[in-house]
Amino acid sequence: MDISTLGGASAHVSSASTSAVVPSESTEPKALTSSFGELLASVEQSAGAANDAVGQMLDGTGDVHDAMIALQRADMTLQLTVQVRNKLVQAYQEIMRMPV
Amino acid sequence: MSTLNAAMEASASALSAERLRIEVAVSNLANAESTRSENGQPYRRRDVVLSTESVNSFDSALGRASATGVEVVGVLEDQSPFQVRFEPSHPDADENGYVALPNVDAAEEMVDMLGAARAYQANLTAIGLIRDLMQRALDLGR
Repeated sequence: MDISTLGGASAHVSSASTSAVVPSESTEPKALTSSFGELLASVEQSAGAANDAVGQMLDGTGDVHDAMIALQRADMTLQLTVQVRNKLVQAYQEIMRMPV
Repeated sequence: MSTLNAAMEASASALSAERLRIEVAVSNLANAESTRSENGQPYRRRDVVLSTESVNSFDSALGRASATGVEVVGVLEDQSPFQVRFEPSHPDADENGYVALPNVDAAEEMVDMLGAARAYQANLTAIGLIRDLMQRALDLGR
């Protein structure tokens, strides 16, 4: 009983957070969204590189440290993107809170 | 981020180079008693030759490249004479009863391995430091 209500609550929170993110991206000026798109592309690219490096390590063709550095880089890029997203959302909410 | 990335690349190349040094030292130790190899002679001790990485970037052309990595030029054979031991019962002994053994000194290889392991650790520490710096910079956003 408790668990099901908890799950419902968390689902509600996550849907609320995603609905808060989507309009912020679409209402931002062109320059910001394009740089955010570049960031997302670099996240995807670094995640792919990390995946390749781990695969090579498991094959025995790559080194452990190369795989770890690639993972670390992907993590850093993702964290940077999350911070930028947080700032974008924060700016959007700040503007929406403005009394008209 | 690009400068720190270059530093990390340099450290990563050093990690690969030190790993190769350890591999070669281990191969020398393993073959310390190998009296035969492909060319019929005893095993010859091998050495790694390292060089600064040749980078063809704009910054390096201007002479202001921030971080330069290391590159393995090759693995060369040590041409010093073989050790000789008197052992007439050995299948590879010559007509006087002497066996030519590899020019490998176990103590020297151990020291080499120790140095390579320490250098590996030092580069790991450098990478950890770079990661910490990036993390601190990202924490500015909090």
